[in-house]
Amino acid sequence: MSGGSVLGPVGRLWWVVLLAMAVLSCHGRAAPTSALARVRAAGVLRWGGDIQGGEPYVYEDSEHGGRLTGFEVDLANALARELGVRAQFVQNDWSALIPSLERGTFDVALNGLEVTPQRVGRVRFTRPYYIFGARLMARRDDASVQPSLASLRGRRVGTLANSFSSELLRNVAEIVPYEGVEEPYIDLVQGRTDAVLLDDIIATRYGEPKPELRVVGDLADGYYSIAVRPAEADLQQALDQALGRLVARGELERILRRGNIWNDRQRRLAVWSDGDQRQMLGTAAAGQRFGWSHLVLFAKGAFITLRLSILAMALAIPLGLALAVLRLYGPALLSRLAGAYVELYRGTPVLLQLYVLYYGLAPVLKLGAFPAAVLGLGMNYAAYEAEVYRAGIQAVPRGQMEAALSLGMSLPLALRRVVLPQAFRLALPSVTNDFIALLKDSSLVSVITVVELTKQMTITSVDIRSWALPGALCALMYFLMSYPLSLLARRLEARLARS
Amino acid sequence: MIEVHELRKVYGERTILGGITATFERGQVVALVGPSGGGKSTLLRCLNGLESFDGGRIAVGADVLLPGGAKANRAALHRVRQRVGMVFQQWNLFAHRTALGNVIEAPVHVKKMPLAQATERGRELLARVGLSHREGAYPHEMSGGEQQRVAIARALAMDPEALLLDEPTSALDPERVGEVLDVLGALAADGLTMLVVTHEMRFAREVSHRTLVLHGGLIIEDGPSKEVIDHPKHERTRAFLGLDRK
Repeated sequence: MSGGSVLGPVGRLWWVVLLAMAVLSCHGRAAPTSALARVRAAGVLRWGGDIQGGEPYVYEDSEHGGRLTGFEVDLANALARELGVRAQFVQNDWSALIPSLERGTFDVALNGLEVTPQRVGRVRFTRPYYIFGARLMARRDDASVQPSLASLRGRRVGTLANSFSSELLRNVAEIVPYEGVEEPYIDLVQGRTDAVLLDDIIATRYGEPKPELRVVGDLADGYYSIAVRPAEADLQQALDQALGRLVARGELERILRRGNIWNDRQRRLAVWSDGDQRQMLGTAAAGQRFGWSHLVLFAKGAFITLRLSILAMALAIPLGLALAVLRLYGPALLSRLAGAYVELYRGTPVLLQLYVLYYGLAPVLKLGAFPAAVLGLGMNYAAYEAEVYRAGIQAVPRGQMEAALSLGMSLPLALRRVVLPQAFRLALPSVTNDFIALLKDSSLVSVITVVELTKQMTITSVDIRSWALPGALCALMYFLMSYPLSLLARRLEARLARS
Repeated sequence: MIEVHELRKVYGERTILGGITATFERGQVVALVGPSGGGKSTLLRCLNGLESFDGGRIAVGADVLLPGGAKANRAALHRVRQRVGMVFQQWNLFAHRTALGNVIEAPVHVKKMPLAQATERGRELLARVGLSHREGAYPHEMSGGEQQRVAIARALAMDPEALLLDEPTSALDPERVGEVLDVLGALAADGLTMLVVTHEMRFAREVSHRTLVLHGGLIIEDGPSKEVIDHPKHERTRAFLGLDRK
């Protein structure tokens, strides 16, 4: 699995698009007479992957002008040659590879896709082209983590969301889901998790170089296979045969050696049997039905979203107020600092701010994921609140301040008793709107492992293999939280307009 | 009790106050009259520290204001403002407080007067300006005349030694002017020191003891009100009063 990447969540909007598609397009479009014939007629095998997954899968080689590089590039080229066509790479967000395959963006998905029961139920897998170990890592000074799933019972274990490893951990450990491959190990070093379970390829590159960590052991074997649309059996068979030829000629071994990922495990690829294939695919886990347990999880996610939003706003309001007052009335230096704060936080993506706060500052500021999420969103929204209050304060007639001062009030007292109460009243509709925006922006915190409503939706939709119901339910829950606020904002605005 | 000495204020190229010297005695009611732009309102606002000035000095009792604005005069400014109340042309009542709330705001939060005591005194003051029945009304529910009377009560609530009034009736409907002037007349009769910037010559002539005529940032005439208004010496005053046209 290539994992997402540091920037993976940027593409998180794709599920919205997907939801729209699920509604608009009917499933199971009629397959053409022969997928293989179609590929051969086109002369290209379009394969989907994500260059953000990084080395050694598919990546742009910065030393060679961004040329597409990686063992999967070599593999795709070799396979295409076997089919008598040319390989054409299609960039696609990793977490959306299978939905994109289903809608026909490319012919096959070939990018560290692990064979998991969920995926087996949705796509057709070829024989594997790589066998990895689910590698468990822990801190060097923590002897309590043993090379067994049992030793992880009840502990916090980091892994990639919806991965083979997360499947192993289900109902055993408390899963901390990540979208990138670097972050799980950063958090493990920081003590935010007790262990990390991920593919050995990832562990070798991102975990093992860290001196604070040790390899505990490999818990299970997993497989990377090429995913083909369910209706296109002939393409799958052609790819299986092509792979067989590459293995027999030793070409696959050469490709894997060039990628520095060859090991003894791969010898099984040469003697792969139909029995092995059946065992790998297992019994395709029947898709879970959406049930009460999912509903409970959704309610939990919604609760976290709401709690997070309220706490972040509770931070943003006083901080924004302080910034606005400093900017308008503070001494020159503080006033300029407050201005700089506002520009900095408004001018950079909140996603980046969350990353810096949680991962960037980890060596000096050891925050839990939830407090970091509250702090990150709160500090970001404070910048917006500051501008709203500044406008509110400036909208209060000057005479109000003059009257207060003429009665002997000090500037702070005049602000507190006379100007701010009126400014806040003017700002209230905007503040309510900001809170609604915050409610939705809070979904960004899943990048720092907080499982809120949107994240819960993506996890559930993989479980039940459908986006339609979880997506609709998720949208409904956001709506139920934000609509009363919209009504409140409208009512406040009407009241202000009257007086 | 208020001494102004060589007060100067310039605004870029324009001289707003060109060196004003005057003394205002306790118990005196002084009308400041003259054409617009003559410096009347600026002088008044300087006395309360709402405007800074560029030269001269202002002494309210022992408290002295010097050029330099709020920064240089912080301590004195605070005391001056407690000794001298201000009433504005546009009333400037606190929009989020009731009539009574406006009146007790400063006593409670500046003087730290107990709420019950401030409320009792606030009601007395509202009665004095004839607004006992309006104590629960918000500013936007009151007429201009009522608001200005509340503003006067609000200023009196701090027990100022003097009251500065900046065109207190200019923004009122004509039929509302009388009720405010009646209140000011009653206050004058009670011996309150007042400086009133006004265009109401009848009020200046009949209520105030002394009238100052400001023109071009200078006092061009100063004397007992009846004398100044009935027999002005300066031709500018005559022009302003419209006497030459007759």
